[in-house]
Amino acid sequence: MKTNIAVFFGCRSVEHEVSIISAVQAMRAINREKYDVTPVYVAKDGQMYTGVGLLEIENYRNLPELLKTAEPVVFLKKNGAVFMEYENQGLFLKKKDVKIDLAFPIVHGTNCEDGTIAGYFEFLGLPYIGCDIISAAVGMDKAVFKDVLKSAGLPVLDCVVFRSREYMTDKEKITDEITEKIGFPLIIKPVNLGSSVGITKVNTIEELDGAITLAASFADRILAEHAVSALREINCSVLGDADECIPSVCEEPFMHDKILSYEDKYLSNSKGGASKGMASLGRKIPADIPEEKAEEIKKLACDIFKAVGASGVVRIDFLLDTDTGKVYANEINTIPGSLAFYLWEPTGLKYTDMIDKLVETAFKRQRNRENLTFTIDTNILSGVSFGAKGAKGAKL
Amino acid sequence: MNIILLFSLITAAVSCCFALVRQFQMLQQNSYFPSRYFSWVKDGYSVELCIECIAFCLSSLLMSRKLYIAQLIFLIAVLAVRVFLCVRTQKKSIKKLVFTGRIKRFFGAAVILFLLFICIYAFMPKNVTGEIFACLTLMLAFVSPLTSLLCRFVTAPVDKAVTNWYINDAKRILKEHKDLIVIGITGSYGKTTTKFILKRILSEKYNVVATPHSFNTPMGVVRTIREDLQPQTRIFICEMGAKNIGDIKEICDIVHPKYGIITSVGAQHLETFKTVDNVFKTKFELADEVLKNGGEVFVNGDSAELISRIDKSLYNIYGTSDGFSFGAEDISYGRNGSEFTANFENTEIKLASKLLGLHSVIDIIGAAALSFKLGVTPESIRFAVSSLKPTEHRLELKPYINGSTLINDAYNANPEGCLEAVRVLSSFEGMKKVIVTPGLIELGAREYECNFALGVEAAKLCDIIILVGINRSKPLREGAESVGFNPDNLYTVSSFKEAMEIYSSFADGNTAVLLENDLPDNYLN
Repeated sequence: MKTNIAVFFGCRSVEHEVSIISAVQAMRAINREKYDVTPVYVAKDGQMYTGVGLLEIENYRNLPELLKTAEPVVFLKKNGAVFMEYENQGLFLKKKDVKIDLAFPIVHGTNCEDGTIAGYFEFLGLPYIGCDIISAAVGMDKAVFKDVLKSAGLPVLDCVVFRSREYMTDKEKITDEITEKIGFPLIIKPVNLGSSVGITKVNTIEELDGAITLAASFADRILAEHAVSALREINCSVLGDADECIPSVCEEPFMHDKILSYEDKYLSNSKGGASKGMASLGRKIPADIPEEKAEEIKKLACDIFKAVGASGVVRIDFLLDTDTGKVYANEINTIPGSLAFYLWEPTGLKYTDMIDKLVETAFKRQRNRENLTFTIDTNILSGVSFGAKGAKGAKL
Repeated sequence: MNIILLFSLITAAVSCCFALVRQFQMLQQNSYFPSRYFSWVKDGYSVELCIECIAFCLSSLLMSRKLYIAQLIFLIAVLAVRVFLCVRTQKKSIKKLVFTGRIKRFFGAAVILFLLFICIYAFMPKNVTGEIFACLTLMLAFVSPLTSLLCRFVTAPVDKAVTNWYINDAKRILKEHKDLIVIGITGSYGKTTTKFILKRILSEKYNVVATPHSFNTPMGVVRTIREDLQPQTRIFICEMGAKNIGDIKEICDIVHPKYGIITSVGAQHLETFKTVDNVFKTKFELADEVLKNGGEVFVNGDSAELISRIDKSLYNIYGTSDGFSFGAEDISYGRNGSEFTANFENTEIKLASKLLGLHSVIDIIGAAALSFKLGVTPESIRFAVSSLKPTEHRLELKPYINGSTLINDAYNANPEGCLEAVRVLSSFEGMKKVIVTPGLIELGAREYECNFALGVEAAKLCDIIILVGINRSKPLREGAESVGFNPDNLYTVSSFKEAMEIYSSFADGNTAVLLENDLPDNYLN
């Protein structure tokens, strides 16, 4: 009797393909002695599929062919447990529903990583790995993330946030505000996308309009922040939950362009082995920074993890201003590419063992929930007589 | 073959099925023990049984006089009465008949028996045998307690096989859970509470499944294993109940516990156990099994009947007396609940809980000791203990009128428990202590004595006594007066409403009130 883990990946997101790579890697790493794995591929139209073909990265080259061999499925709650049911049933024999014990979402970007998929699992009552709704949502919205960190006294760069409609109707006002509060050079980002999509570095006021227009095509809230000129990007992963968490080693990704672009992150190695994803990106592990700087960043990473209320494994990206030596939290990836396993192996934690820890953390959260009271057992409506039958004793 | 008689027999058989609903219900509620079921028939069904016998005689008489039409009409009337009674009793009963597999088999057996008898009659009409079987059919149809027992005996081999299949299936599931740690809990009292506390503390670290409610029979355990155990479950807590020697061993043979807690040994179920020694032997069947499996046993050192009978070096002793390897010290009670220090093999853990009373402290210590042994950190134990919820109306602590503190012990009706509740109240240092009680009831010859003792204890330890029920509470009043309690602080009222009016006139933030044994108003006069 093994715990059946359903790995969810794909989804309606710009990082659909990256998610497939991360998920296939993870499914290979899961300890099959302890767990059964049920792959659940969520197509771009939202239809969910399962099938053994989904376990091999090669099969994804021809997606339509792969989906022909896969089975469309739905998830249902029955008798207190969650089951995966096949949509296409045989003529005479019903295919047996598959009981799911734990969900493992490996999805990136909006419409999934932002708390949407966590909400789906919460609603089903299915325990799941990773951040809950609120921490995932905070992690996805760069503006809210900065606010949460600021109120926790953690270092972030100041920013100006505005809606694209506000900018389009009064460009001058927003431009003035950005110029005044932030100054050039600066960076324009959509508030809710990961993986560098729609992010532009702006050196002069002339470039500003194009950058905002690009960002506006991805999100309706846009953020402008100061671009640190002497910049090093340092990332650190954190594993655990708000009670107990540990940091990984730090890494420094190499920047081919002025900032790390989407091509850098996921496509630069695509000829050789597309399946390597984030793990194969040009990077230095551990980052070549002084020991005390690394310790400072690791401590900050854990503080941020707790401030957001995260769970599972996350990667936090920092900006290191080499002129001043100051460190700023840039963003948090609540489901990082390749689950940041490459930052854990140098600490001696194998990917397989890391997934064990994620599973334990997920069940721990479930237990903590079960110890809280969510419903009151008595039905207040049972003692109430409703209007039509006479209003005696109706006390609501 | 007589067609009308055939119809009569079928009608009788159908009517019997309706009568059997009640019989099976009682058989089920008496755990299918014929002896217990018989005593129900004797006490609660004797009049009905007589009527059934008379009806059988009447019907046989009609048959022997060849008044077949009259017999059929009579049987249809019986059917109508039985349908009516069946529907009415099922609607009214609190615990209805549950249609388990076994009950379905009972009904199956009844149908087969009737079919068999009627067929024998139908195919041997000219023969005396036919007549005899027609008569037997009628007897089965009328004397329903007899029929129900017959069904039980006929299906017994099948039931036995089904039970064995379930037990073996549970054993198979346990075997597949290689890493599962099984914990057995038994004891004359305190085992269910200890189980819930243990589950809460262990769930700080492990995925835990425990037998729900007070499921503590072999089949209750088997059912929990088959329905609740998940692949990720690491710990299975199994409550083990016993009424006879060998009961605990029977459960142990299924689950093979690695750890055990024995909460107490006392004079419970003596009608089957005969002596406390037998109770002790049965409870320690768990200890024998655990030691055989190389595990550890935790026993409550405060249970006098228990500690006097054991070799202390074999077990981990927990409790509140001095010198135990898992002890509780500095116990105090206040408006926030109880506070005490656990001393586990020289690790001190300060604990606070909303649960009140010495028995709660002992249950917590036992559960915490085993959790500590299983690697739950002191911080996690402290947090889990602080979040334990009291059982409703059992020394339940609540904020009350004008910021005062209420100890609701309304469901307590045993004399020892009441005295303990008064002692808990008395430990609310520096507060004005009030008790509101109508006294104890239904204690027979001991009633006066127990209430008098409660009055004495309340007078010694409380500042204000409010007695409910003018006549009822006389022994309490006499008890209080016998130790010179100031009459100005003793109120006697006729209802709880009045008691609360008096209470709210002086209650403030520094008052604690114990509500002891709240009785329905029909007792209060």
